[in-house]
Amino acid sequence: MRAGLLKLSSSVIAAAFLLTACGPKEPQSSGAPPDMRRLTEEQYRNTILDIFGPTITYGGRFDPLARVDGLIQLDARAARVTPAGFEQYYALARSIAAQAMSPANRATLVACKPTAVDAPDDACAQAFLTEVGRLLYRRPLTATELSLSVKAAHDVAAERRDFYEGLTYSLSGLMMTPKFLFVIDMTEPDPVRPGQQRLTPYARATRLSYLLWNSAPDTMLLDAAAKGALDSADGLEKQAERMMESPKFENGVRAFFTDFLDLQKFETLEKDQVIYPTFNVKANEDAKEELLRTIVDHVAVRDLDYRDLFTTRRTFVSPPLARIYKVPAGRPDGGWSTYEFAKTDPRAGILTQIAFLAVNSHPGRSSPTIRGRAIRETLLCQKVPDPPGDVDFSKFNDNNSPDKTAKARLTSHRTADACAGCHKITDPIGLGLENFDGAGALRSTENGETIDPSGDLDGKPFKDAAGLAQQIHDNPATSSCLVNRLYSYALGRAPQRDDKDVLAYFQSSFAGDGYSVRKLLHRIATSKAFYDVRPTSAGTTPANAALSHEESKS
Amino acid sequence: MNTRLAATAGALAFLAALSLRPSMAAEQSGTLTFVVRDWFTAMYESRFMDECPEGLNVGNDEYWWRGLSKKDRARLTEDGLVQTLNRHNLAVARGPKGEDVCLIPTLVKDPPLRVVEGKLAYGENLDGTTDGHATAKTCKHTKFTTPDGKAGIDNQLYRLVGCTYGWRKGGLVDLNANEMRGTSGLGMILIEITGVDNPRNDDDVTVTFYRSIDQFALDSAGTPLPFSTYRIETVDGKPRYADSVKGKIVNGVLETGRGDVRLPFYGNYNFINPVIKDLGLKLEIAEDGRTATGMVTGYYDVESFMHYVSGLGVAIVISYFSCNAMYEAAQKLADGYPDPKTGACTMLSSAFKINAFAAFALHPEKQSRQAAR
Repeated sequence: MRAGLLKLSSSVIAAAFLLTACGPKEPQSSGAPPDMRRLTEEQYRNTILDIFGPTITYGGRFDPLARVDGLIQLDARAARVTPAGFEQYYALARSIAAQAMSPANRATLVACKPTAVDAPDDACAQAFLTEVGRLLYRRPLTATELSLSVKAAHDVAAERRDFYEGLTYSLSGLMMTPKFLFVIDMTEPDPVRPGQQRLTPYARATRLSYLLWNSAPDTMLLDAAAKGALDSADGLEKQAERMMESPKFENGVRAFFTDFLDLQKFETLEKDQVIYPTFNVKANEDAKEELLRTIVDHVAVRDLDYRDLFTTRRTFVSPPLARIYKVPAGRPDGGWSTYEFAKTDPRAGILTQIAFLAVNSHPGRSSPTIRGRAIRETLLCQKVPDPPGDVDFSKFNDNNSPDKTAKARLTSHRTADACAGCHKITDPIGLGLENFDGAGALRSTENGETIDPSGDLDGKPFKDAAGLAQQIHDNPATSSCLVNRLYSYALGRAPQRDDKDVLAYFQSSFAGDGYSVRKLLHRIATSKAFYDVRPTSAGTTPANAALSHEESKS
Repeated sequence: MNTRLAATAGALAFLAALSLRPSMAAEQSGTLTFVVRDWFTAMYESRFMDECPEGLNVGNDEYWWRGLSKKDRARLTEDGLVQTLNRHNLAVARGPKGEDVCLIPTLVKDPPLRVVEGKLAYGENLDGTTDGHATAKTCKHTKFTTPDGKAGIDNQLYRLVGCTYGWRKGGLVDLNANEMRGTSGLGMILIEITGVDNPRNDDDVTVTFYRSIDQFALDSAGTPLPFSTYRIETVDGKPRYADSVKGKIVNGVLETGRGDVRLPFYGNYNFINPVIKDLGLKLEIAEDGRTATGMVTGYYDVESFMHYVSGLGVAIVISYFSCNAMYEAAQKLADGYPDPKTGACTMLSSAFKINAFAAFALHPEKQSRQAAR
């Protein structure tokens, strides 16, 4: 799949760019105040991997982020580091630095050789810390930052009589500062708009990199920033194109859809092994991977209509998933293979994949309500109120109920007025997926009674899951929700009233581009709105002010 | 219906139809595949062991023990500290020069094997006669009746081992073999039914037996997970085992005609691949298609059987039989396929009960495509 990404013709991107040039112009954005966002766990891991390579291994868990306005990413800007969280960062930094400077890795990562391994060597230390510091901070270290790091390395090397111990100490120090742990929107005066601020070239590079790669800028992007190439549309265009051709672009796509589809829920997903013996730990892991592989293949590699994700018959299967689907696994040795469901098959699109069905169910049974709510809230960006605290589930949970199917039980449950309002907007959708049990396996009956998978979406009836999939495909909210969420994700904030015109522009472009997520990402990554900042009343944010103080010393 | 290439692609649509629209499945062509989990010699055991009026057989260990002086017993067993299992190597070395009497069962002469004398057994009428008289393909033998009253049953393998503890309930010969198959990936038998228009009723299907090179995929309780995929073993790009018989499905029960089928078999550290002559399979497929149980009948050759028995290792000791007595009885009881030169029959009519789980067979051409992906 990565190879496929590389092969994707640059002409596709060029065509998208031409459309941008010829189509409606991007409206003026009002921007947002500069901000600082904590690296997510995935961003941290990708960044370390890109800088130090795959030989560095480490465990640990970060302080969790909450889901705000439909995205985890939006909580990163509000998140702060707790004492316990900082302990984790401290331990990680020490472990990563020690491994990077171990005899096995130092020759690869440290270009220079010290004059003696048991004594300080400031020249070599400075060369190394200059290079690695730029990658970690996503900008060159200031003179003060660099001299402090070199001095620390010198002191420790002298005391321990080990040059690399000194580097280990300084390196771990760099990884424990907010300048590494937070993406900081550094600004500078905008020469084009006197009196206004704009992101510094390095801040632009960082924003671009974490959107497209979910990782830190590489050397080429930082070099482009240093030369001012990101200030021009052409320069930005070239870098965006390059980055979207890179295998790392898959990480960016995965990160967005993991957040958008709330796949973090897989971390706590459990199924009753007595009821669903085939849904084991591996099936749990693979279900999420199947969904992400399908999405990456569809939107990034083959650049197809986003809406077709809900009707596509193509998927990827591993042995544990093949058992649940009751289809042959192409690679019984544990590998993945593509699979195309027949047109007559009840499965169509990602809503009928195991991931969506299992994660939006109870541990021991399916749930039309949870599935309906997930479709409304996640895919259509429509808010469903939480149930009242005193809701009576007794009729629904009664094992001796004469109502054999979920549809019949929910009908009884809906007789309570307090429940009816919400269930009317969730259940008729979720019932369309009742031919799939709580682990995502196909079924035709429940408690011996034939399941009726018909339902309706906003008054439009459908016969079964395939009919529901087609309605989601055709629903205008499906595409507008994606645009809204991707825009929010890119900017790290929920859209404001001022964003209305820009959002309308991206929505119209999305339709004009054949609902290509790849082109939409490209448009956002190269848009003015993505980089625009507006000053706070004081001209800078507190974070910016604190950090710019240090820079001014350089 | 012809359709070796059917295999996997059609299986999907077919199984989907099976699960969701059983009544409409007849419209689609497809394949059903099962992987054999358990393979038991079909044993009829009455409550009071009436079928073995002289009791069960005496074991090799006991013959060895009886042949020793008190002094030698004390010496060889370290005054009884070396128990049955651990003295296996000593116990089978009863040949004149200390040879293994299970590897060369004619070196000693033990008392005759106690064989089944009862009237009831599981199996089928293989020779087509009602009284077991000799035919061109069989030797004279005594018929059984099934417990539910079907007469004319041939099952000389049961007659041979039916009074030996190792094959009876609690015995370890088949249990060990099934356990080893479950954890080793050896002796994996795939049964593929192709040309299936309707999984519950189809008057013309083809049943092919393959060997898989994959182990069972098990759930947390150690039970095979249905609908797992197994690669077919190949040689030079073609399946190593691929014998077929024709059959039909009536109300979910597959019944095949008869044909010679080579099967892979592994158990008790022995791998054999006997050709079961005139093999027939009766397989009852569960309504949900996830499991199947059934019976394999046919003629099992004495040579393969004795090769397996002589290699049982410590299981010989705890199965309680004499290899010499077993070998001689097997020659006498053989009822099928006479040797053209001697006229003595070389095969034993037999019946085996099997348990199987729904599966997918990955054919060679599909394997290479996936590997290249």
